[in-house]
Amino acid sequence: MNSHLRCENITVRFGGVVACDKVSMDVEEGKIIGLIGPNGAGKTTLFNVLSRFQEQDAGSVYFRDRAVDAKRAHEMIGLGVARTFQNINLFGEQTTLANILIGAHRLIGNPFANILWTPKARRNERELNRRAIEIAEMLHLENELDTLVKNLPYGYRKRVEMARALAANPEMVLLDEPVAGCNDEETAELKEIVRQVNRDLGITILLVEHDMSMVMSVCDYIYVINFGANLASGTPAEIQKHPDVIGAYLGEEYRA
Amino acid sequence: MTAMTATTTTPQEKTAGKGNGALSAMKAKFERFNRIAFAALFALAALFPVMPGVEGWMASQASLVLIYIIAAQGVGLLVGYVGLVTVGHGGFLAIGAYTSALLTKHFGVDLSVGIVAGGAMAGLIGVGLGVIFLRLSGAFMAIGTLGFAFFIGTVVNNVPLFEGRTGINLPANHIFGVKIGDFGFYLVTLACLALTTLLIYCIVRSGVGRALMALRDAEKAAESSGVNRVFYRTLAFSISAAITGVAGALNGHVVNYVSSEVYADIWYSVDFLVACVVGGSAMLMGPFIGGAFIVMVPFFFERLADFAYILKGVVLIVVLLLAPAGVADLLARPIRMLRRRLFGGAEENASKG
Repeated sequence: MNSHLRCENITVRFGGVVACDKVSMDVEEGKIIGLIGPNGAGKTTLFNVLSRFQEQDAGSVYFRDRAVDAKRAHEMIGLGVARTFQNINLFGEQTTLANILIGAHRLIGNPFANILWTPKARRNERELNRRAIEIAEMLHLENELDTLVKNLPYGYRKRVEMARALAANPEMVLLDEPVAGCNDEETAELKEIVRQVNRDLGITILLVEHDMSMVMSVCDYIYVINFGANLASGTPAEIQKHPDVIGAYLGEEYRA
Repeated sequence: MTAMTATTTTPQEKTAGKGNGALSAMKAKFERFNRIAFAALFALAALFPVMPGVEGWMASQASLVLIYIIAAQGVGLLVGYVGLVTVGHGGFLAIGAYTSALLTKHFGVDLSVGIVAGGAMAGLIGVGLGVIFLRLSGAFMAIGTLGFAFFIGTVVNNVPLFEGRTGINLPANHIFGVKIGDFGFYLVTLACLALTTLLIYCIVRSGVGRALMALRDAEKAAESSGVNRVFYRTLAFSISAAITGVAGALNGHVVNYVSSEVYADIWYSVDFLVACVVGGSAMLMGPFIGGAFIVMVPFFFERLADFAYILKGVVLIVVLLLAPAGVADLLARPIRMLRRRLFGGAEENASKG
């Protein structure tokens, strides 16, 4: 029961709107944790607080039980926390390989050595390329390495986004709606990839997702938030039976 | 870069099977071809002084073209790869020119020292200014850099050290202790251009170039991947300033004279930006085309100075309409098409053309 990333009493206000109201959650190491809730419940805001893209008004974020409130967004990867974006945030004019390599930015070493192409930097660059190709193979992108990302179909781009996050060699990945907008086939594929990343690479995963089939089948534990506040938490089986969750979000058809 | 759509392949066109080894081998072959083409270009340029019928003034004029290309490279690094617009690089040109001129006049330093010092001073001031300007975005940054150019203009006009409109007369140029004339100076300038070109090529291809372009295209994803925005943008701003500073140092020595009449003129800043945009800022070849264009237009229309300005404006508009990624991109299109035909591979990014 090791806490990997945890937040306590997070409150975020945008003007008069309270996006998060004393939300707490705990992402346990090595698990797949789900974060669900109706639209506008504050999931993405909380997600941004956890990845330090959003400053909270109150509360704290802890990484392995140490407060990381002072960290900036680009420093989180140094702790091994990578994230993806709901609205795919890729470099469209670049190839798949270049996009994956960007994810490996924290492994490039000294920037000045990079500019001068020292022998060490050359070796490192070759190694990064080799690893990027490995990751592409894992996500079934090996045939699209040289394709410009803007020319890839939607489901592929979702996978490139995930590959970029994995290229940093993270210990934890925060996935913001990885299957939003994907068809059933693409969803099934991504579901399998998420499981594989967790199981084979031992990466902790926090998953924000609206697709209940995905959440219920891959998550070990689920947090539900509503109107910016904690509503419930539990295993998928417990959540599916929880009367408040059914009332606020899932609807009657999910009553087991 | 918007112009690239036509030449890129769709995933369906991709070759079947893995084939990455073969494809990257072909890419490497093309890369090598690019490098050889550039080396050949420089070798040809180095032969210019010994070509029949070439006189000293022609070498001087050619040096001026090369200097503009270097200055435009500095601006292009920022505009093309970092995605920031600057209308103030004339200020860095002045910093480079005065640094080298004052060192030469008061301490009698070698041209090589002057050039390095000019670049270093511009780069150093660039770090300080980068921290300020990079807080501004879009048009505000452009206006801020314009303010910087005006500020430098006022300083060189009024601070006695810079000798205002009277100007600073410089002695004949010495490089590594050897006195050089117009031809020698041309070769020195060419060597500087070769180094700045190599520097930009190395930056763009490295992890640093990737980080800069990532900040340009998808800032959030770049930051979540660990790219420190402030550090990388400041670094790029400083290198960009240093390159233009080197051009400034050369610009003073090519005529052995530095005066505020020249360096208080903010049109330099605009010229460099126009050179970038016309040539193509995100391509290695872009500043070459743009720099040559900006220098040669007034040269050919010497008696019709106003017409030169009109022509520059018209060309700028036409280029923006027909080839927004610059003339270099326009010229690269058939090469890309040929490459696609031959290898069936997809595009690399536009920056490597």
